[in-house]
Amino acid sequence: MTSARILVVDDEPQIRRVMRTTLVSRGYVVNDARNGEDALEKLREERFDLVLLDMNMPGIGGMETCRIIRSQSDIPIVILSIRNAEKDKIEALDAGADDYVTKPFSMPELLARIRAALRRAPLASPGAREVFDLGRTVINFAARRVTVDGTEVRLTPKEFDLLRFLASNPEVAIPHAKLLQAVWGPDYGEEVEYLRVFINQLRKKIEPEPSHPEYLLTEPWVGYRFHLPGKD
Amino acid sequence: MTKALLARVFTLLRLLCAVGLVAGMTFLYTRVVSVNNVTVALTFLLAVLAVATWWGLPEALAASVAGVLCFDYFFLPPIGNFTIADPQNWAALFAFVATALIVSELSTHARKQAVESTRRQRELEGLYTLSRNLLLLDSRAPLAQQIAQQVAQVFDLQGVAIFDRLTDRIYRAGPHDIPVEDSKLRDAALQGTVFEDATAKTIVMPINLGGPPIGSLGIQGTSISEAALQSSASLAAITLERAHVQEVATRAEAARQSEELKSTLLDALAHEFKTPLTPIKAAVTSMLSDGCSSPTHQELLHIINEEIDRLNTMLTEAIQMSRIEAGQVHLHRSPQSLSALAQSQLQRLAESLEGRKVTVEVPEDLPPVRVDPEFIGIVIWQLLNNAVRYTPPGSPLTLRARREGAEVVVSVADCGPGISEAEQQQIFQKFYRGKTHRERIPGTGVGLTIAQEIVRAHQGRIWVESQPGKGAKFSFSVPCAPREVSA
Repeated sequence: MTSARILVVDDEPQIRRVMRTTLVSRGYVVNDARNGEDALEKLREERFDLVLLDMNMPGIGGMETCRIIRSQSDIPIVILSIRNAEKDKIEALDAGADDYVTKPFSMPELLARIRAALRRAPLASPGAREVFDLGRTVINFAARRVTVDGTEVRLTPKEFDLLRFLASNPEVAIPHAKLLQAVWGPDYGEEVEYLRVFINQLRKKIEPEPSHPEYLLTEPWVGYRFHLPGKD
Repeated sequence: MTKALLARVFTLLRLLCAVGLVAGMTFLYTRVVSVNNVTVALTFLLAVLAVATWWGLPEALAASVAGVLCFDYFFLPPIGNFTIADPQNWAALFAFVATALIVSELSTHARKQAVESTRRQRELEGLYTLSRNLLLLDSRAPLAQQIAQQVAQVFDLQGVAIFDRLTDRIYRAGPHDIPVEDSKLRDAALQGTVFEDATAKTIVMPINLGGPPIGSLGIQGTSISEAALQSSASLAAITLERAHVQEVATRAEAARQSEELKSTLLDALAHEFKTPLTPIKAAVTSMLSDGCSSPTHQELLHIINEEIDRLNTMLTEAIQMSRIEAGQVHLHRSPQSLSALAQSQLQRLAESLEGRKVTVEVPEDLPPVRVDPEFIGIVIWQLLNNAVRYTPPGSPLTLRARREGAEVVVSVADCGPGISEAEQQQIFQKFYRGKTHRERIPGTGVGLTIAQEIVRAHQGRIWVESQPGKGAKFSFSVPCAPREVSA
């Protein structure tokens, strides 16, 4: 786990330097890129387990880089940005980021976020349902595959973990904080906007009618609930 | 005076001429040609009609009276005295008198109307010319001056004066300097009253467009009716008002642009400062978490870390302030639970509480509020952070929320030194820092201003209650969310 390969993308050399020093000392394998174009090229050439991506860079910029990476890969992306407005966070998550850290950050916090992003939710306990046939949508947790009307849809690891956690507790309203802690990690709990964005993306991918969700239901003031059709 | 005398002499001359005309005709009929009485009466009526048309009622009346007397004396038997023998002749004389009076009255009236309509037409033409000319004024020169010139020129007035309240200046135009004191022009504009001086033939009236007067217009001359004067004043008002609005808009735009530039610069600057802070913070926190340095080094690293946080907070506040001032705050309001908002801010603050116990009193059934969670979070944080900074470690804080009608009031109370009444007035002002703590407690003095602006944008209020020595209580109100809306 500690030999995970991390790509640091930032136009500031001092940030790349401090990240490289710290992350290497923690046992990670680190490479860096000076801008989005550089990062995309390195991602094509090498395998990485995580991208730390700066938002404000010359060239195509962080947001667009994030979109391109996400369109090609499921790799966890953690955004590092000076902007801390909620709309910036939501825009980044919408572009496919898994997490958003505001600069300047403390290193222990970033390390926790990196661990959370690398972390995979434990496999479903033995005996748990492995395949959910919802009619048009079929979720195979064992194979990490989701098909809608026979066509496979690609979920990012975080999306998949979120869906699995909800589906393994069907018909139960799960509070925001519990969902965040289960899927992102114990340090999370306040980032309700993450859930909004990820649930929206999941709805777009697995719901036959995303604007009128059948499976992923909002529980006002509480959280979300996974609904098994046919149990009304 | 001589003019009035001259006019009287002329009137007298015209009266004499009217009487002379009748006398001449009488002479003609008695001495030169002999005609019957009907012809005499009819030609006398003709003469009265002519006099009435040419000159007016007084002259026509004079001609009528002369005609009656001459007709009776020279033509109705017995001739040579004013008695009338035949009752039929009484009837004839009465018919003559009545006809003469009616004819003179009617023709005078018709003549007056003709004169009046000509004058109105001229004035309308004048007003039309004026409105057209006012549209074409040169915006570089003082407008009121040009308006005064146009009014004087178009209506051929001896003098015109315009007082423009906005510039507080008086502009005069026309061949003569109008005998109206500046104070009168000012009074007309300030009180909205009309001053008229018949002997000097001056009139001063306020210029307004429905609202309070924006100036006043004074004229000297008789060639303009009250109605035309009113219309001119209205035209002047429209022209001045349009110019004022244009000027205000231009100035506001310039101010907005300069404010925007300032905010953009501040925003960019703050971001630029945060960039080098990032590797410093990352490096220091990394060293702190390694835990391999001596206690002295650890303490020094803590100091660096705390000062970075302080610098970062200042920069964040500067960015927030510049956004708020540039009007870039766009609220995304939705129903929110205040207790959740408060809890998350308390978590943020946990590290700096230093033994201060925070009591949270939020009723279970508190309705959701319609706010932007991010911005109201900033307000709660500012109030809590202020309470922490200005009270000694260990002293208790209370965060309360309660419903008051259609609003929820949130308050943060502390048991610190309190705030004097004089300072309570000032603490919401930008860059104000508490006098007694200025030296000791770090800060930029914009925190409460930011909180105030955010609360205002939510149509809420923010206030402070405090007595020196007895702590302070900061409160703000935000509207409840409508019931039927759910997240």
